Amino acid sequence: MRPGPLFALPVAVFLAVGFAMPILIVAWYSLMAPRTFDLTTVFTLANYRAAFTEGYGQPFFWSLGLAALTTLTCLLIAWPTAKVLHAHAGRVATIATALVALPIFVSESVRLFGLSLFLMPGGGIFAGSMRALFGVSIGTILNTKFAVYLGMVYIHLPFMLFPVLLGVALIPPDRVEAARDLGAGRWQVLREIELPLALPGLVIGSLLTFVLCIGANAEAAILGGRAITVVTTAIEQRFNYAQDWPMGAALTMLMIAVTAAVVFPALARVDLNRLIRR
Amino acid sequence: MPDTGADAPPALSLSGLSRSFGDTRALDDVSLDIREGEFFTVVGPSGSGKTTLLRILAGLDRPTAGTLHLRGRDIAGLPPNKRPTAMVFQSLALFDHRSVGENVAFALKMRGVGAEARRTKALELLDLVRLPRDYHDRPVTQCSGGERQRVALARALASDPEILFFDEPLSALDYRLRKTLEVELRDLQKRTGRTFVYITHSLEEAMVMSDRIGIMRDGRLVQVGDPATIYGRPRDRFVARFMGEVNVFEIAGGRLPAFDAPAPAQDGWLIVRPEALAPDAGDVQFDATVTDIYRLGSRVQMHLDTAAGTLIAELPASTRLAEGDAARFGFAVADTHRVAE
Repeated sequence: MRPGPLFALPVAVFLAVGFAMPILIVAWYSLMAPRTFDLTTVFTLANYRAAFTEGYGQPFFWSLGLAALTTLTCLLIAWPTAKVLHAHAGRVATIATALVALPIFVSESVRLFGLSLFLMPGGGIFAGSMRALFGVSIGTILNTKFAVYLGMVYIHLPFMLFPVLLGVALIPPDRVEAARDLGAGRWQVLREIELPLALPGLVIGSLLTFVLCIGANAEAAILGGRAITVVTTAIEQRFNYAQDWPMGAALTMLMIAVTAAVVFPALARVDLNRLIRR
Repeated sequence: MPDTGADAPPALSLSGLSRSFGDTRALDDVSLDIREGEFFTVVGPSGSGKTTLLRILAGLDRPTAGTLHLRGRDIAGLPPNKRPTAMVFQSLALFDHRSVGENVAFALKMRGVGAEARRTKALELLDLVRLPRDYHDRPVTQCSGGERQRVALARALASDPEILFFDEPLSALDYRLRKTLEVELRDLQKRTGRTFVYITHSLEEAMVMSDRIGIMRDGRLVQVGDPATIYGRPRDRFVARFMGEVNVFEIAGGRLPAFDAPAPAQDGWLIVRPEALAPDAGDVQFDATVTDIYRLGSRVQMHLDTAAGTLIAELPASTRLAEGDAARFGFAVADTHRVAE
């Protein structure tokens, strides 16, 4: 018996209650007058106007820019790593993969505080060791934009690596040999054969990383000091300190729109079935 | 036309080529000259090292010892993309994410040939391998087995290689298609005048196509010769058995103990082809009972129960012998071949 539409009921109910309803409510709030707490039928676009005129450009820019930069960095690190792990599949690769996966099981905040301890000036683990062992006093990158970027890459690399590993596994070795035999250099093999064949994995990994990065704020809060305000922090501030729910809701809707504008065109380009079927 | 004069260097010259994987010697001291414009086939059972040999010739693997010269030029250190050779893979290794035309013109694109020139050349190659021109823009995944074969061939030819390598490309096809493509491949080799190096485990395939055949066993090249020589004068029992079903009799003290008849040599083995056995013929005769008959079209093969064990005979289909018949069979010593080992 083929599973009928009834089989989709549990997930449909869950998505309706847990996903569609909250979004609908947030969308509704975003159209209310600033600093109000009632859902009425008096709609206004004042919050959206404010989003574009009252200095929210910076947080959006940082969130999107950091997300794009982190995604690209993770992709550049994950590709050669995945190639090595795939080529030397066996005990060592399994252990290496497990080591990469392990941090996922530790709370993100714990890891970020760990990194923060490591980077602390003077008495931090890195600087302290350098002074104790070599008598070298060094500065710190803590509380800079670079520290935030480092933390973002550190946290999100596994989410890129595993899909890329799946993608690399989609490349049959004989196609690479055939391309080499037909005169392709290493870069040509990469461009003409490896990247197109691994594309589903690359796209999934990039989307996962990008979307997680847009929503990330712990890195900026723990490692960045006040160097950067990301958009999620800005939204949180609207809801909490400022008690301006409609403004926060409008920023949220804009975030969702931007994310959707990135995700859907990318998803349309890949054949997800290829990743699952093989 | 390539220079095929007597003093022209061989198309490929292999000397002492060896390849070890750990303790295993996959290729053991292979020396061979492949002539310009010849169809050379390497035949051997699986694991005999023939694929390793071809991969080294194509540059996909490195020999652990030995030298390799192409028209007198040392190419042992060249990566595959720098060698003027092309290979048709056993798996074909077509680029499924590209169209037929893009597959065929891949080598040209790698050399920076423009799109228009690539298309022209690809269409010519489709003609050459007898594929319709409108296949150019089709996804390669929509082609049948035989068509994919032709695409792979056209793709290899596109790089205008001095030598073409074939790694059992026909092994996955059904019998009829294989036969058709064998003849076409031979024909294509004659028309283009190129050097083809082909590997297969099927001696039948090798006989149809090749100018010369090399037989491989356990990483060694045990015999090289034209098909008639390999078939008629195998070097040893291994080659003889590999060429098809044969009857082998031990020679001891100048006699054939199996029939108590004189032998043409002091020792060794006598190879008797099934077609050399006939009823009431030859100078060595013996009593036999027909146990099984297999019809092969114009000929029949029969298993004979004799004092020397089960023998195989091949007769014209017109024979009146039936299963269970007893008859006197024999062979002429002149139609046999003696090997030392």
